Amino acid sequence: MQQPSLPQSTEDRILQVKGLQVKFSTEHGPVTAVQGVDFSVYRGKTIGIVGESGSGKSVSALAIMRLIPNPPGQVTAGEILYHGKDLLKASNQEMKAIRGNKISMIFQEPMTSLNPVFTIGNQIQEVLSLHQREFSKKDKIEKSIEMLKLVGIPSPEKRILDYPHQLSGGMRQRVMIAMALSCRPEILIADEPTTALDVTIQAQILELMKKLQQEFKMGIIMITHDLGVVAETCDQVAVMYCGRIVESSPVREIFANPIHPYTKGLLESIPSYDSTTGQDKNRLPTIEGMVPSLHNLPPGCNFQDRCAYAKDVCFGGQGGPPLVVNELDPRRKVACFYPLPYKEVAKS
Amino acid sequence: MSIYQYIIRRLLYSIPIILGVCLIIFVLFNLVSPDPVLLMLGKHVTASQIADLRRELGLDRPWFLQYWDVVKSSFTFEFGRSWSRKQEIWQMIKQGAPVSLSLTLPGFILSAIISIAISIMVAFFRGTWIDKFAVFISVAMVSISSLAYILFFQWYLAFKLGIFEISGYEHGFFECIPYVILPIIIYIILSVGPDVRFYRTVLLDEIYQDYVRTARAKGLSETYVLFKHVLKNAMIPIITNLVISLPFLILGALLLESFFGIPGLGGITLEAVNTSDFPVLKAMAVLSSMAYIVFSIITDVLYTVFDPRVRLK
Amino acid sequence: MVSSSEVSVTPGQESKSLWAHAWATLLKDKMAIVCFLVVLLYCLVALFSGLGLLASDWSKEVCSSFAAPQEDCWLGADIFGRSVIQKTIKGTEVAMSVGFIAGGISIVLGVFLGAVSGYFGGLIDELIVWFYTTVSSIPNIMLLLAITFIMGKGLLAVYLALGLTSWVGLCRLIRGEVIKHKNREYVQSARAIGCSHFRRLFIHILPNVLHLVIVNFSLQFQYAIKSEVILSYLGLGVQGRPSWGTMIDDAKLELTRGIWWQLLAATLAMFFIVLAFNILGDSLRDALDPKLKGK
Repeated sequence: MQQPSLPQSTEDRILQVKGLQVKFSTEHGPVTAVQGVDFSVYRGKTIGIVGESGSGKSVSALAIMRLIPNPPGQVTAGEILYHGKDLLKASNQEMKAIRGNKISMIFQEPMTSLNPVFTIGNQIQEVLSLHQREFSKKDKIEKSIEMLKLVGIPSPEKRILDYPHQLSGGMRQRVMIAMALSCRPEILIADEPTTALDVTIQAQILELMKKLQQEFKMGIIMITHDLGVVAETCDQVAVMYCGRIVESSPVREIFANPIHPYTKGLLESIPSYDSTTGQDKNRLPTIEGMVPSLHNLPPGCNFQDRCAYAKDVCFGGQGGPPLVVNELDPRRKVACFYPLPYKEVAKS
Repeated sequence: MSIYQYIIRRLLYSIPIILGVCLIIFVLFNLVSPDPVLLMLGKHVTASQIADLRRELGLDRPWFLQYWDVVKSSFTFEFGRSWSRKQEIWQMIKQGAPVSLSLTLPGFILSAIISIAISIMVAFFRGTWIDKFAVFISVAMVSISSLAYILFFQWYLAFKLGIFEISGYEHGFFECIPYVILPIIIYIILSVGPDVRFYRTVLLDEIYQDYVRTARAKGLSETYVLFKHVLKNAMIPIITNLVISLPFLILGALLLESFFGIPGLGGITLEAVNTSDFPVLKAMAVLSSMAYIVFSIITDVLYTVFDPRVRLK
Repeated sequence: MVSSSEVSVTPGQESKSLWAHAWATLLKDKMAIVCFLVVLLYCLVALFSGLGLLASDWSKEVCSSFAAPQEDCWLGADIFGRSVIQKTIKGTEVAMSVGFIAGGISIVLGVFLGAVSGYFGGLIDELIVWFYTTVSSIPNIMLLLAITFIMGKGLLAVYLALGLTSWVGLCRLIRGEVIKHKNREYVQSARAIGCSHFRRLFIHILPNVLHLVIVNFSLQFQYAIKSEVILSYLGLGVQGRPSWGTMIDDAKLELTRGIWWQLLAATLAMFFIVLAFNILGDSLRDALDPKLKGK
């Protein structure tokens, strides 16, 4: 586990998302998939975005890349500041120069994310052709071999002539990473990169990503629903529920002392041999109830009908709780009217 | 396995198919059909006349031999003589085939180019009014009988306005052009509707695949994504669809040949229907079936060449 | 992949079955409802015409030969002075019956052979695959010509010829689906409770491929109606009663005289029913596609 990190200086901040709002038009009416999301990405650090399916985590990431399919989706408010420049206002030309070059993204399904009719070498070289025009053909081939070696693929000179279907899932994901990193981006967005892989391969891929992050000093946005992945890789964690960030903390603090009831519930539902809460060990703890439909969000806090601690103001009138900085630890933010009692984490 | 092993395997597998095709043709024309002898001679004939004609036409031989004749003909193309024209059928085919091709080949090539171009445009503008309009027009065009098109255009453009020849044909590469232009135009109109619908579906299926999202995430423009990534994948079913249509070009566009008096294989077939000319009908059936079988092997081989997933197993 | 199904989670509503969902989707689709009404209209016209309630005087000479559209014959007259509109209405009988019967034959053959072939596998499968590969190697036109030639002219030959030449596509499709389904858990469970082969195939698996059959039927119907026209032109079609095919065929002699009414009437009559089936088929396919469910 990493050391508790100090508040980052703004010099190291590469990306800042402010007040992001994304709406989708569905057959049942418009739906707000992402509401008022703020987070930042720092050089060499990983921010994890955690949530269940439908929490809006992938949408937030796609918004950064301006890859939200329109129709039916649209970014309706907010700013995404990359080195001070708002990406949401950038031209198409500028975005194309950034994608794959300064900000790269890898996706969940390595099986289908690569084009089946082109060789792997071809697909890596394509990124280079696009963003590094000065490379000669020979340079590009060499570079693609070098990238494959970097991600740990054996016999890379032979592999560049292979087609995606000839590789296993883990290998394909490594190729995706090689492709994403070939232009040395400043930010890597990883959308559930290991969800579709076996557990042992998962560990290898995460190791690889950490190693490359140190080498390239990249900022990584790690989107996942798996708290184990978060513990392995992240420095900062933002927990999302129904399109909003409900808690944002450094990783150690969030595991040791969650302040939002939802985060607490998530942590408790991780099956473990020794239940840490001292509850009855016969039943697996879960969060009661189900995620509400985004068409039918309750007035007030989105989490109210599942929250064990919900009281009067949670139920309505003033809208949802705002994301506020916790007085006791300025690195932590929570969106709750009655956050859980804060305990100082012993500095070890 | 290598390409050669695959081809040999397919060829071997075709043998029972060819035997089956010949069996069906044999059953249809030699077994269950109305007696051609009676058809030709009419009602008031003597028994010996019937027997003579039977012997002459080879219809008194045992069934197995007659079936074997059909099978042999599928490899040797020796179809005997036409009953009505008394000409060697193979000669008729050699004369008629280029005539049919002078209509169907340019029609096929042009309609393929036009359909693919329209589909790409429609796929690029998917969801917009261009897309919806194109789909509606394709569906509407398909809802009209081909006969109606032929009648209308022949009447309007050739008869009324006199722009094109009404019917007839002249052999020769350049000489035939004025006679085939209108049929080719109609051919293209008939093909574009269903083709655009199919190609559009293929293209859209590919556009929504994950690898397209990855390509965009690399910074590629929409046009580039469409023409390089999507098209290469879409071309696999499109090309196989085109190749498998090729054998039908030889038989000729039956209706078009009939209306425009073009003496191709289609016209020969129809004439054979009207004169109950069994050998010609059998020959056409065998010829087109063999062409289809050969081209389906070619299509399968092409598939393995174009699609790396199939090729390298 | 971000889709709106990831966004609009609706756990509060009960999950609808494929059929209930399809029905609900269709009811909202105005175009589909209009098309369905058109099909219904044609069926009723054919029915009433067959019962003699409509167009029973089609064979009477009501106007002069080739008369232009006027009071007694709204869409003009043919060579015998018969009213074109009456003939068109009477022709609906042939069209609808050819569509449904030939389509029906094709569906029964295709589903039965495809299901048996896919389910039992082995030698039966080999035989059926050989059979349909052979049949599909012979161009449709040749088979149509051959069958009508042999069976003589008339409606029965038309039904059979069209039905026997269009079942292969559906057969391949059903075979593929049955193969996919027969190894699924629900079939294993049926076997575990002692269901016979027959029950497993017809009562458990087939309902799951029914949606493909329904969509395919709209294609069969269109193929049948359009082919009838071609058969009529070739002289192999219906005799003794009007059909849209014979009307269009007549037009080849009429047009040179400037007589266009039969061509227009028959073409329009066919246009609307084929278009309706086309659109309905597309809507049905979209409504029944399990992948689109929930979007």
